[in-house]
Amino acid sequence: MSEADFILKAVGHEYRGGVPALAAIDLTIGRGQHVAVVGANGSGKSTLLKMLDGLVFPTSGDIVAFGAPLTEAGLEDPVFRRDFRARVGFVFQEADVQLFCANALDELAFGPLQLGLPRDEVERRVREVAARLRIDKLLDRPPYTLSGGEKKRVAIASVLTMRPHVLLLDEPTSALDPRSQVWLLEVLEEWRREGRTVVMATHDLSAAAEAADRIVVLSEDHAIAADGTPDEVLAQRELLLSVNLIHEHTHRHATRAHKHAHAHPPADEHGLDHGH
Amino acid sequence: MSVPSSCSQPDIAPAEQRRGGGGGRSLARKTADSVARAVTDVLQNEELAARPGLLQRLDPRVKLLTLLLFAVTTSLVHSVWVLVVLIGLTMILAGTSRVGVTSFARRVWLSAGLLALLIALPSALDVFTPGTALVTLGPVSLTEPGLMGVATLVARVVASAGFALLVIWTMRWSDLLRALSAMRMPDVVVATLAMTQKQILTLLRTVEQIHLARESRTLTRGTTRENRAWVTERMAFVVRKSMKTADDVYDAMLSRGFTGAMPSLVRLRMGPGDWVWALASVALCAAIVAVDRVVGP
Repeated sequence: MSEADFILKAVGHEYRGGVPALAAIDLTIGRGQHVAVVGANGSGKSTLLKMLDGLVFPTSGDIVAFGAPLTEAGLEDPVFRRDFRARVGFVFQEADVQLFCANALDELAFGPLQLGLPRDEVERRVREVAARLRIDKLLDRPPYTLSGGEKKRVAIASVLTMRPHVLLLDEPTSALDPRSQVWLLEVLEEWRREGRTVVMATHDLSAAAEAADRIVVLSEDHAIAADGTPDEVLAQRELLLSVNLIHEHTHRHATRAHKHAHAHPPADEHGLDHGH
Repeated sequence: MSVPSSCSQPDIAPAEQRRGGGGGRSLARKTADSVARAVTDVLQNEELAARPGLLQRLDPRVKLLTLLLFAVTTSLVHSVWVLVVLIGLTMILAGTSRVGVTSFARRVWLSAGLLALLIALPSALDVFTPGTALVTLGPVSLTEPGLMGVATLVARVVASAGFALLVIWTMRWSDLLRALSAMRMPDVVVATLAMTQKQILTLLRTVEQIHLARESRTLTRGTTRENRAWVTERMAFVVRKSMKTADDVYDAMLSRGFTGAMPSLVRLRMGPGDWVWALASVALCAAIVAVDRVVGP
């Protein structure tokens, strides 16, 4: 395997009151890999992503990021924190959470300015990313005047201006219309060509199959249930049923009852869904 | 899978058995409408602030400081006639800034003016302010000095509210934050203000959706007690959601390297017009105070 960006050893996390969120996760994410973490709601996908971004810390086990331990104490060190934040970008599931500045321009400039980059450089990056993501005309607008798809674009752009090497995406296709979903998949493909590492949490098996070269399945027990290529993982129908990613669906064709596995949204490339 | 028969049949009581089935709007609908109006107002402010008017062209710092200067001058003036001139000035500024003089006047008089009048009016009674009685109301009467005092207070409140509303209506929220930041306002205050408006809007939309969801599933208006219990429970939900959102927003800020400052890419620059406006404002305020000293009580 290529050099690893993240190594998780027996990582577990419990919320206050002992509610488990993740259990004994052993995971290595290689440089340049595109990994989809799939699982049902509440399986721990978002918590895992937040751990990779140093926002939540393990209650057991260790995380190594770029060869150094990723700990709360370590992130107190300004040099390590700046280096880590410059390398890792996180696109949150809810764009509303991520857009906290008064307008889109400040939103795109926020990260690079926090990193202490010169204003000219920040301005150049903002214009470049805005043009690339076709949001030039939105820069002057406050976030609350944007549509759902526009907010998502601005949220992604606000991370891209930091030029992170690792991109963490939480449910990237949620709240996106079909055209924006296609656009996002194209962006992910571009990131692959650029050699950036991508870790996306999703229960959209179709997007996972298309955008990732590796799928990690989290069970409802918050542990890793499978880890492999999309073809390997998505062929395991019983596994996907057991982790609640697909379900049995019965309906009628004329007088004949018909039963098949069903995913939301469809993952028809892998025969998991039935076209209607 | 078949749908349970209990769900496939409508379970609607005859109209005469329903409680409170009057034609008035329900609490949920009224609240949702109010929230929608509040959101619309905020969005409308952005549109007003983008119009090509006199105040909109000014540097945000100059505009904020000069309108603050006018508000302070208003508080120093004692003559009701000079205060009327200041109210006239707010109207002229509203007109030249293309924010709609009628709606501006309505907003200032109906909110600030009416409230000030209701609060101050009892002080015009001869019990509190002796003097020549102008209006007799049974055992008490409104006196001339009392009414003059009320008029002065109301005029002062209306003029001050007018200058404050001009700041809100002619300045984008982002420009206001930049102006505050440039004026050395602590970063934590600017950061808090930046997030506050957005979070209020997000929560308003949540509240609107909560009430519309209830409206869509409600056939009767319910009793006052039921409505009160429901509103209380939903308020608790919104508080919990706002706390969770605050945590998430802070995480999002940390994730992008937040160091405690809220720098902006936009650099504010004062042009010749800003200097002219600033000097003219200072001169006008000085003249107003001087005239008030001559004609004031």
